[in-house]
Amino acid sequence: MPKSLNEVSDFSNIFTRYDIGAAVQKRGAEDVSTDKVLQAIATGVVDGDEDMVLENTNKALENNEPTKVIDTLIAGMREVSKLWDDGVYYLPQVILSSDALMVGLEKAEDAMGGKAEKKGTVVMHCAHGDIHDIGKNIAAALIRANGFKVIDLGSDVPEDEVVKAVKDNNANLVTGTALMTTTMSAFAKIAQMMKDEGMTTPFVCGGGAVSEEYVTSFDLGVYADQAKQGVEMATDASSGMSWEDMRAKYNLVM
Amino acid sequence: MAKYTSMAYNSWDEMIFGTTKNPVSIGLGPVELGKGWVVPQIVPHPRPGSTDTKEKLLREYQRMTDDALGRCVALGFPSLVIEFEHIYQMTSQPDWAAAIFKQAKAQMQDYYDKYGLKSALISTVADLRKPDMVHMRDSQELTWMLDTFASTAENGADVLSIETMGGKEVFDWAVQRQDIRGVIFGIGVLSSRDMAWLWPQIVETAKKNNITPGGDTDCARGNTAMFLAGGYTATDLPHTFAALARACSAARSLVAYEQGATGPTKDCAYEDPIIKAITGVPITMEGVASACAHSEMQSNIVSAVVDLWSNEAVEYHDMFGGSSVEVFTEILGYNVAQMNASIALGQEKVLRDINIASDKYRDVHGFMLSPDNSYEIGKAIVENIDSYYGRSKAAVLKTAELIAGDSKMQLTEFEKDALDKARREVEALPDSEDEFIDQCLSDYKKVAGFDPSSYGF
Repeated sequence: MPKSLNEVSDFSNIFTRYDIGAAVQKRGAEDVSTDKVLQAIATGVVDGDEDMVLENTNKALENNEPTKVIDTLIAGMREVSKLWDDGVYYLPQVILSSDALMVGLEKAEDAMGGKAEKKGTVVMHCAHGDIHDIGKNIAAALIRANGFKVIDLGSDVPEDEVVKAVKDNNANLVTGTALMTTTMSAFAKIAQMMKDEGMTTPFVCGGGAVSEEYVTSFDLGVYADQAKQGVEMATDASSGMSWEDMRAKYNLVM
Repeated sequence: MAKYTSMAYNSWDEMIFGTTKNPVSIGLGPVELGKGWVVPQIVPHPRPGSTDTKEKLLREYQRMTDDALGRCVALGFPSLVIEFEHIYQMTSQPDWAAAIFKQAKAQMQDYYDKYGLKSALISTVADLRKPDMVHMRDSQELTWMLDTFASTAENGADVLSIETMGGKEVFDWAVQRQDIRGVIFGIGVLSSRDMAWLWPQIVETAKKNNITPGGDTDCARGNTAMFLAGGYTATDLPHTFAALARACSAARSLVAYEQGATGPTKDCAYEDPIIKAITGVPITMEGVASACAHSEMQSNIVSAVVDLWSNEAVEYHDMFGGSSVEVFTEILGYNVAQMNASIALGQEKVLRDINIASDKYRDVHGFMLSPDNSYEIGKAIVENIDSYYGRSKAAVLKTAELIAGDSKMQLTEFEKDALDKARREVEALPDSEDEFIDQCLSDYKKVAGFDPSSYGF
């Protein structure tokens, strides 16, 4: 006799809930300071609480060098990254932490009278003719929160503007995202224009229908599958890794 | 304009694939949708490089169209709908789009004359208005779009559809922060207001050319949330949160039909089972055959009440079995043949229920799109029909209640926490739409590029 769905309790031959079996135990972040106020800054970053970060940053700046406060903010963000890597945090918690970090950082930099030293400069854009930029925006937030200067050119950016921005800012890395295969052809043009000018800046491309096969078909191109790869790639490029070595590290080299 | 104050069906069990309360006839034949059978829809997509010149792009579309029509005749499929989702180069150059549609329609006419193959052509104009970059009601991009609706309507399109972008700036900001209030504002209020402004213009163009105003999808927002949520191992967004965003999508996509669209709906509008329950228009869905474009967790269940069965988009390439367009036309055609065979045998509810059982408890997105739950969410919308905000909020709360109330719908602790948090936040929102909007206009000023005047504020 046929059964109704209400009579079915065993779905194990229809699907397996791998997420239930792999659920991660909740845990908090490690403390980063024995100083109550500094720890409150880090906790505010971990909790994505802008008000808490602002209040305690102001307090801390009364008795600490701005660089000490900045180090604490970054230490808090490092704890966030660990929670994300371990699957305790999802992306929204990381973005909220990034927002909170930037509030504190701005305050500390004001007190310092200048920008904190950045690990490197990354120029980011969404391809000409393409307006799907949420992936770029996520990657930009993560890269910025990890201590890099981000020049975000926005969406639907003409090829020559990208090349100019890379040159003008002496960027360590340039990124391009596209949802559609019909707009990603701008990437090859940008790479060629950069080569024509003798530039060797690694050009990380990804998003939507963008494929590794396509990105590795032109010089300078390095394919990224996930927005979260951006931080490690920015670190590599800023430490001087060539586009060839980055491609060898991240991509299947055909 | 239509005002849906009651459901199109008396119960969810009345809903079945292939049959609608308000069928639509389109194109050559004509192709009849919702009259007791399902029709396949192929969405071909040109290759990179084919866009360099108008001639190259015309050649690409000529080959893709011929491949789709030829495979139908080779395998005996009675009818086919072809959707061209415009690439940037088409909508921004209305003459290119006109030439592509004119060419395709001539090919379809040839197959109709020679073989009697029924077919119809959908023009889905690209919404080039990125809300944080241009004014939604006054920009070059808007002019291109309206001109391209007209140029394709005059040159062979049988249906006009779109994926509008309203509210995308606030939604994107909110979804990255798991902010349900911002999601309701972005989708439920801003996107709905944008549609209510734009859709009468689309309907007017369709009427002027005696063709069909199809539908709109919450792709830019609802699908963004769904794809961020991803599969079981993804950690970008809780699945429960994406399901709540989808509930807003239903309240929002309904605006097209209130403003005169008649269906077929847009294929990537996963909210469409709810739209069908409310309106009775024929719905287009994409499921297992859209794996060529993206992965999803509800590929079978979305066929339960479908009328036009699509593949989202397949890029043109060679495969062992022919071109990708030929291969996916074949997959869709046989999927549909199976559905229509079940109807011929009087077994359609069995097949529907098999597909429901496949995915209802796989993930919360499939759960809420199960016809029984879609019907309940639709009722919550209809009971609050007068307010874009109120019906979005009601849809979210009903979805949360359904997910939490079914013990077979297993949730991880993290997913359960995300659901409970969003539910608490929505329950705390004001009852008054005016109050909600005032709060949001003030609080989301911080979103870069958000311009309230784009939405008539």
